[in-house]
Amino acid sequence: MFRKNFVEYAILLLIKDRNDHLFSFLIFSFIVFILSSVLFISDSLQYDLIQSINAQPSIVVENTRAGRVYQMHEGYVYDISKITGVSSVEGVVDGYHYFAQKRLWFHIIGDASLAKDEMVIGQGVQKAMAELYYEDEFHFLTEERLIKVKINKVSPKGANILSNDAIFLSPNTARAVLGMEMDEYSKLYVSVPNPNEVGNVALKIVEIYPSAKATTQEDAIGAVRHVYYYKGGIFMILYVIALVSFFILLKNQISLVYGEKKKEIAILRSLGFCIKDIIALKFIQNTVVSVSAYLLGVALAYVYVFVFNAPYLRNIFLGNELEDSISLTPVVDLNLLFLIFLFGVIPFLAFVILPAWKIAISDMSEAVKS
Amino acid sequence: MSKIVIQNLNKLYNANKPNAFYALKHINLSVEEGEIVILKGVSGSGKSTLLSLIGGLSKPSSGEILVNAQNIAKLPDIMSSAFRHTEIGFIFQSFNLLEGLSVYQNILAPLALTKLGKEAMHEKVSRAMQLVNIEHKKDQNVGSLSGGERQRCAIARAVVMEPEIILADEPTANLDKENALIFIEILKKFKALHKTVVIATHDTLFGGLDCIDRCVLMRDGELLQ
Repeated sequence: MFRKNFVEYAILLLIKDRNDHLFSFLIFSFIVFILSSVLFISDSLQYDLIQSINAQPSIVVENTRAGRVYQMHEGYVYDISKITGVSSVEGVVDGYHYFAQKRLWFHIIGDASLAKDEMVIGQGVQKAMAELYYEDEFHFLTEERLIKVKINKVSPKGANILSNDAIFLSPNTARAVLGMEMDEYSKLYVSVPNPNEVGNVALKIVEIYPSAKATTQEDAIGAVRHVYYYKGGIFMILYVIALVSFFILLKNQISLVYGEKKKEIAILRSLGFCIKDIIALKFIQNTVVSVSAYLLGVALAYVYVFVFNAPYLRNIFLGNELEDSISLTPVVDLNLLFLIFLFGVIPFLAFVILPAWKIAISDMSEAVKS
Repeated sequence: MSKIVIQNLNKLYNANKPNAFYALKHINLSVEEGEIVILKGVSGSGKSTLLSLIGGLSKPSSGEILVNAQNIAKLPDIMSSAFRHTEIGFIFQSFNLLEGLSVYQNILAPLALTKLGKEAMHEKVSRAMQLVNIEHKKDQNVGSLSGGERQRCAIARAVVMEPEIILADEPTANLDKENALIFIEILKKFKALHKTVVIATHDTLFGGLDCIDRCVLMRDGELLQ
């Protein structure tokens, strides 16, 4: 395709003009870094949340009263378990406890495997508690009394995005902390073995209990995807930053073929380089710059997100102090990386090659005289 | 045998515009193989335009330019570039070196379009440098060379492909007397190598030189003799 001597000379000219190309290289790396970081973070969060949802049963039922989530009694479990297609209904105790001293919300989850006076906590919870010297035991301050529970275990770091702010307690202790009666549940997990019946079962639940909200696994995944949808708020801001940088980059790219560079093209034309050779020369040089900048940007983003856990940017996405200790699961969407490559590298090349072509086809006699 | 034959050549700039003008009018000229021809005339007389047309750098408005009996005025870009690459060596008044590269790397430029191996390329560059006596500066950046050295580097680059035709546009205009005389010596070497040389100049230094075969006077885009 390209002659070896030609490629070597193109690289030689690129090295000669390295200072001119450095700006484009850095800006393009920055753009790829921003976009890749955003995608890595959102993909990683989506992946973790969807994994959690996939581990849940087919339908999650919550009751509402005056627009707020409200408890359900044993009667709900009985009625729903009678619906055709339902294999089991599990009552779950789940809610939030306000830790006033740190102004944080802990996610309380009932776990039947735990004893009455012990609990398992997430990394973020441990950090918050330790700051106030709750290291072996924690005191839940409720309206009625003080509940003392031993810290039995801490969830491993990065185990799950949802477990980070979670406190697992025995269901009855959880009820006491949340102010619920002993036969009450905050959620019901409904198992439907046939996936084709999930929608119908959800509808039937709402028919029986009009105030209930039946969320299928599919709806929950859709909601997560919506939160981290690439056209959404923060994504748009970051894309605008990338877009502005990209225009600065393109302006610099165009300047790489005017001024002194125009004369260089004229000199090469006088030495026998045809229009195709000039385009090939610019193509090789800018492919080297853009592909290396792209690879650097992606590599830096990977290290930034998955090794250093995306400082600063992570807070924008999670927005919760407790979530600081979440480890992002390395998830790389090759399709999106390819899209960044396509929409980054092609305009990068086009904004040099088109002006270079325009200059190369013009009358060179004046340019070589000046 | 005529190396270059120019027939009824015209070059019109700004065609169909109020400021249209003929840079060249009805030029007829032939240059024999191995001949050294001087195009003389004041600035704006059309010397440089004629050289750029002979070298295929621009296209004439009408007329023919036959080089080795081939009409280069009608060649498509890819062929006229190949012709320029192999048949023509350009020497410019402003040297037109690739700034930031060394002497060696500048002379190497035309060879980038070949499939020659490293050794063959090195041999060609060395031979060209020997011809103009610039070998000792081969690794030096062209930005640090004197005017005469820059000119010799440009000449070495022009001859590295061993073209049969050398076109020089005001080659001594930016040189002092001493370096201009060095250029004359190089010109004599071209004569010995049987190169066909066309020089556009208004330098009186070229008058009466033994190696010059012919002087052609130009004025207002026309050949006077």
